[in-house]
Amino acid sequence: MAARSDGASNLAEARAVSKTFVRDEYQLAVLRDVSLTVRPSEVVAILGPSGCGKSTLLRILVGLIPPTTGEVLCHGARLRGIHPGAAIVFQNFALYPWLTVAENVRVGLYRRALQRDEENARITRAIDLVGLEGFEEAYPKELSGGMKQRVGIARAIVGGPELLCMDEPFSALDVLTAESLRSEVYGLWSRGDLGLKSMLLITHLIEEAVFLGDRIVIMGTNPGSVRETIANPLPHPREYRDPAFLALVDEIHAVITQVHLPDERRPDLAARLEPFPNAEVAQVFGLLEVLRDHGGIANLFDLATRLQLEVGRVILVIKAAELFGFVDTPKQDVVLTTIGRELVAGDANARKRIVHARLLVIPTFRYLVERLRRTATMRLAAEVVEEELAMHVPNEPTEALFETIVGWGRYGELLGYDPETREIYLDVESTVAFTHEGAPT
Amino acid sequence: MAITRIRPRAAEAVAAVRSYWIDILLLVVLAALFAGTLALARRWEAPYRAATEIDLSPWALPRYTLLSLARGLVAYVLSFAFTLVYGTIAAYHRRAERIMIPLLDILQGIPVLGFLPGLVLGMVALFPRSNVGLELACVLMIFTGQVWNMTFSFYGSLRAIPGELREVAALHRFGWWKRFRTLEVPSSMIGLVWNSMMSMAGGWFFLTVTEAFTLGDRDFRLPGIGSYMSVAIDRGDTRAMGCAIVAMIVMIVAVDQVVWRPALAWAQKFKVEETSAGVAPRSWLLDLLRRSRLMPWLELELGRLLAAVGGGHADPKSFVREPRVTRALPWMAGLVAALALVAVVAWGSVHLVVLLGTLTASDWAALAAALGLTFLRTATAVALGALWAVPVGIWVGLSPARTRIVQPLVQIAAAFPAPMIFPLVTLAVLSAGIPFGWGCVLLMLLGSQWYVLFNVLAGATATPQDLREAADVYGLGRIARWRTLYLPAVFPQLVTGLVTAAGGAWNASIVAEYVRYRGRTLVAPGLGALITQASETANFPLLAAGVSTMAVALVALNRTVWRRLYHVADERYSLNR
Repeated sequence: MAARSDGASNLAEARAVSKTFVRDEYQLAVLRDVSLTVRPSEVVAILGPSGCGKSTLLRILVGLIPPTTGEVLCHGARLRGIHPGAAIVFQNFALYPWLTVAENVRVGLYRRALQRDEENARITRAIDLVGLEGFEEAYPKELSGGMKQRVGIARAIVGGPELLCMDEPFSALDVLTAESLRSEVYGLWSRGDLGLKSMLLITHLIEEAVFLGDRIVIMGTNPGSVRETIANPLPHPREYRDPAFLALVDEIHAVITQVHLPDERRPDLAARLEPFPNAEVAQVFGLLEVLRDHGGIANLFDLATRLQLEVGRVILVIKAAELFGFVDTPKQDVVLTTIGRELVAGDANARKRIVHARLLVIPTFRYLVERLRRTATMRLAAEVVEEELAMHVPNEPTEALFETIVGWGRYGELLGYDPETREIYLDVESTVAFTHEGAPT
Repeated sequence: MAITRIRPRAAEAVAAVRSYWIDILLLVVLAALFAGTLALARRWEAPYRAATEIDLSPWALPRYTLLSLARGLVAYVLSFAFTLVYGTIAAYHRRAERIMIPLLDILQGIPVLGFLPGLVLGMVALFPRSNVGLELACVLMIFTGQVWNMTFSFYGSLRAIPGELREVAALHRFGWWKRFRTLEVPSSMIGLVWNSMMSMAGGWFFLTVTEAFTLGDRDFRLPGIGSYMSVAIDRGDTRAMGCAIVAMIVMIVAVDQVVWRPALAWAQKFKVEETSAGVAPRSWLLDLLRRSRLMPWLELELGRLLAAVGGGHADPKSFVREPRVTRALPWMAGLVAALALVAVVAWGSVHLVVLLGTLTASDWAALAAALGLTFLRTATAVALGALWAVPVGIWVGLSPARTRIVQPLVQIAAAFPAPMIFPLVTLAVLSAGIPFGWGCVLLMLLGSQWYVLFNVLAGATATPQDLREAADVYGLGRIARWRTLYLPAVFPQLVTGLVTAAGGAWNASIVAEYVRYRGRTLVAPGLGALITQASETANFPLLAAGVSTMAVALVALNRTVWRRLYHVADERYSLNR
């Protein structure tokens, strides 16, 4: 934040930007209070999970979409229209399929208004720089994904932009192609004779952010906001297997885990529908079993590999297990609790009893039991519950969440579900039975 | 992303509870439909009467409108059944496909007047004493205006089902009902609903002709809104014409709201691609029906019944390559059907040749000249239509807000049978001092421009967001933007629109080149006028020659111009990158 006072050299700046999309009767808060500056001669990498609004942030900085609130500046002055010195490399290339490679690259020169000769010379040079000489007259559909993105890069640099924005530029490519293009992009930027001052990279890959970014901005979801900014002091060329590189990747891992699994527990609120992690019974049990086999403690990312699930999914499963009190999550580790150990040690009946008892203290289920007790028929239409879920837990697919909840309720013999009438009901017999046996609470 | 509902909709709070009121309403509507069908059936039983007196009082209009609507719906049901059967056989049976699809292509090119004499004379001969024959002939003529594009759409969707999905169905031994529900309905429904809307419009197009026509010295007239209009035109009763136009619009809007909107909104659940561009169709009626208690029960029971009939399990070997349908049609039955078809075609061709043999060389010369004139007119009409509809379609389609308002209006305009207003437009054209030879181009334009607008608009809504963003970032000016982005992006849909519009213009030529108003007859020499005159004077050789010429011309145009343009669209302008 040192260069704040001298805004005129800053290539792009967002000040307290928020963005809300309105569609029909829903509104979607995508960004909240995001501030970000792209200074001269740096590569800023914005790192975040899908849906954190990082692409929206890029489009706001370039002027493609206006922010709902907040200010966008370009060289210290308020940005009007499109940023004059910016170019974008798009995730899905955004090439015009009916234009040849050379014609597509020419699009990048449109606003420069050059002589035809000068134009042609620049186009030839840009195509050479990305290694596509000989393909000038080819159409995009004749090219592989990596070559298409080279055309996208040539189109972006041909006009000599000062700010090159890249929106997940390598995510539609295979791993090897992505890796070589990444180095080539760095090569282009470091040449210094293209007029390029800074780059803004949007990515969801930590390695990519560390490889290219001088400053790594970590974003979180719900709604998108900046969680932390980390400086990357590693010298170029960076090497993926260099210990310092790996250490930085680990550090960022830790930050992300922190963002997604906060340490502090929520105070127990009065019973109401609360966000319930959309993870199934079998998944949570699978997690607990893997944990037991690991001696009761494991790292989040090891778990992802062991369970063969993506990290986002594993986080959900861990959240569910934590909600039930089966695990604890200090830092990025996951630890089996006493109840958790008891559960994995028990047989099917014991497991059901424990889940039943835990369900009774989870707000969502306490709320549902309370609601069901108050109805005369002890039945509740699925639609009613789904409707309420949609109100209280708006960011999950309601029907899937409903199914998960019913799944847990049925497993714990707390709730029953009649698919014919699409109604849930209270599993009265078992509730009484378990209470008489004196289940642990 | 945090989604919050701005205001909980009152309707949704109510919707949470299923309501019996909806069911009572539903039952009332069903009872009314039943009563209506009975009334229509009773009319069909009525003794044969070729030309009914038409009452021009506006109070008679609702009854006429309902009668026409009933005919259109009966024809639609026939079209739907035909589509399912014909489309399925053509899609799954290699050998049948080779005959069935070109046949469909030719049938599509035959204007309704080509079917008229055969259908009417045949049906009346079949039922000499009751009105059923005439009614059936009318229904079948409407059917010929509806069915072809639906069948093409269904066949195309079935052919486009990925092989892997078929293999999954085979591995799990789906019976035909299950396969139909889980595979064929989802992949064809959106296309089928859109084409059904177009078909309904196509069926109405010739309503003034199909309900009231002259065959030589015999007049045929059935009570309906088409006859009402044609009598009003004959007498020059402008007030009655206005009333009929209003009644027609009311009917189209009602059918749109009660049938097509709910069908479209329902079909959205089969949408595969995730592009959020465009406006998702919604329907108040569907929202209402979803609250019914009766409907889910009905759906469940009906599904069970059909599943039982359709058989849960199929022999897995039977339909990975050669689906069950081919087996369901035993080999012998197929052969018999093929032979019967060949016999009918042979008999028809012999007759046609005999008929055409009576024509003289000067007749053929006249036909060729007429063909040339009509070709020029249709080409002009389509070009004029494209000239305004392309920019407007793109301009509207690029903005969701504009699309939301304009799209339903265009659909209604396209569904309105243009020939109904031909006499009024002709009057205006003549009073403006434009010769009728040019004026009828305007009439064709009325019958075709909407297809261009409709398709271009749909194409523009689907322009990928990132291509638009690239145009923004690289500062493309207005002209460059149209040239490099908008026009190429809508090109495939433009071709579809032009093909449909050209078909519409050729069809319209039959009513546009030959307009009668208050006993006066205006003729613009051309193939359409020639066909209409031949039909009115019962000159069957000339009629057959005219209709064949038109069918051949349309097929030739399809095979040369349009197929080439489709190829270009597919090769260079396809957005499936």
